[in-house]
Amino acid sequence: MIRHRIGLLAAAAAGLSLALAAPAQAQFPDLGKVIGGAKSVQKMGESFRKISEPEEIKVGRDLAGIVLGAAPLTRNPAQQAYVNRVGRWLALHSERPDLPWKFGVVDSSSVNAFSMPGGYVLITRGLLEQMRSESELAGVLGHEIAHVVQKHQLGALQGSLRNAAVGDMNQYFNSGGGIKSVFTTALVNAGKDLFTRGLSEGDEFEADRMGVVIAARSGYSPYGLAGVLQTFSAAPEDKGSALMNKTHPSPVARIERLDGAMGSQLDKVAGVEDLPGFAAIRGRKKP
Amino acid sequence: MIRKFGVACLAAVILFQADTAQAAEKGLMLRAGNLMAQPFIDATKGDAVAANQPVTILERRGGWVNVDAGGKRGWVRLLNVRLEPPGGLVAPVKGKGKPGGSPLSIFQTNSTKQTATTGIKGVNDIDEATIRNASVNYVELDRLETIDVTADQARSYATRNKLKEQQLAYLKKGKGK
Repeated sequence: MIRHRIGLLAAAAAGLSLALAAPAQAQFPDLGKVIGGAKSVQKMGESFRKISEPEEIKVGRDLAGIVLGAAPLTRNPAQQAYVNRVGRWLALHSERPDLPWKFGVVDSSSVNAFSMPGGYVLITRGLLEQMRSESELAGVLGHEIAHVVQKHQLGALQGSLRNAAVGDMNQYFNSGGGIKSVFTTALVNAGKDLFTRGLSEGDEFEADRMGVVIAARSGYSPYGLAGVLQTFSAAPEDKGSALMNKTHPSPVARIERLDGAMGSQLDKVAGVEDLPGFAAIRGRKKP
Repeated sequence: MIRKFGVACLAAVILFQADTAQAAEKGLMLRAGNLMAQPFIDATKGDAVAANQPVTILERRGGWVNVDAGGKRGWVRLLNVRLEPPGGLVAPVKGKGKPGGSPLSIFQTNSTKQTATTGIKGVNDIDEATIRNASVNYVELDRLETIDVTADQARSYATRNKLKEQQLAYLKKGKGK
């Protein structure tokens, strides 16, 4: 009996980790009850971080669609191609060079950047316009790439998804609705929680430390991200930065942490500050 | 013709002034240090600068910024300077701020939450409300799939622009905090 229960719990963890795979869930008709009885949130989080790469990409695609639902891509092919070239080059210097990385600039005057599982990275036009140089772009993209490499979003999604999934699965079992659409709803809601609550401070500080190294490995100055954080430190608390301010540690706290981690150890790393093509695609800040 | 040239010169001057104005950013020292003669850690030390000292950033070079601190010039580390918000900084609210941080980390920008929520509406604002109300945009997702580049295209870009790869390990957390 005990053995059977342990088996079911293990199956529940595995089943949740494959939550998009309907056949796996169909094998466990009482999955919702079992998940509801599971005590270890951490265990669930770890299981979700271990979903397969194709599943991770599928999750990331749906989450990227939420951001694109708030603001579409800019209609500027040269700008999109440029950011993709820089982003892909940076990603080649991460631990996940083979993901099908996709970078995009969304047409929003807000200042923010988003990364999703599976290699989706979106930055706002408002953020791009504030950058002084290509190394600052490299610093921001490096930070976002680090979140994907460390699967920070998958860990954070689990907290929201666990409860939502239980409710939606119960609804499914009771109403006979289609699992794909029900789970997609739960996932989209979890994604919205992620975008509006943010990752942990620890995840953000880690992405800062990794981002500067990814940029430096790729031949850029390691201080691009520091320049962006410095810009943020002067940003008035206006509407355009409100969501970013809410979902990240304060810029000064990030500067201080980065200073503590970097010291002078990357001072001798020769890196490119800027490239001639950047100013043309950055665009000018609109009033 | 001469008039045209004059207009062009005037435009150039205005542009130059705009760039100069943009370059002269106002900041504050996050910690005490020295104005260095060169942007190097082992350069000759100049006058001391105190924490909270207002500075004007004159030039940026890698991890260093050339500053004017009350009429004295020199180089300080980029990560030792924060920029000053347009409204300046005000004293911290009692009980707020983390102990152990730099003095400026507990200062508040001189604006209120009310101004934070009454700003001018931007283009396609991405805020809590727009995220909450957003539907997955599959049309834009399909566009996103078409604008990516291959690893080889990225490598060509790096080669063309002389971006030299470096072997570097990730940074450890750092001391304190």
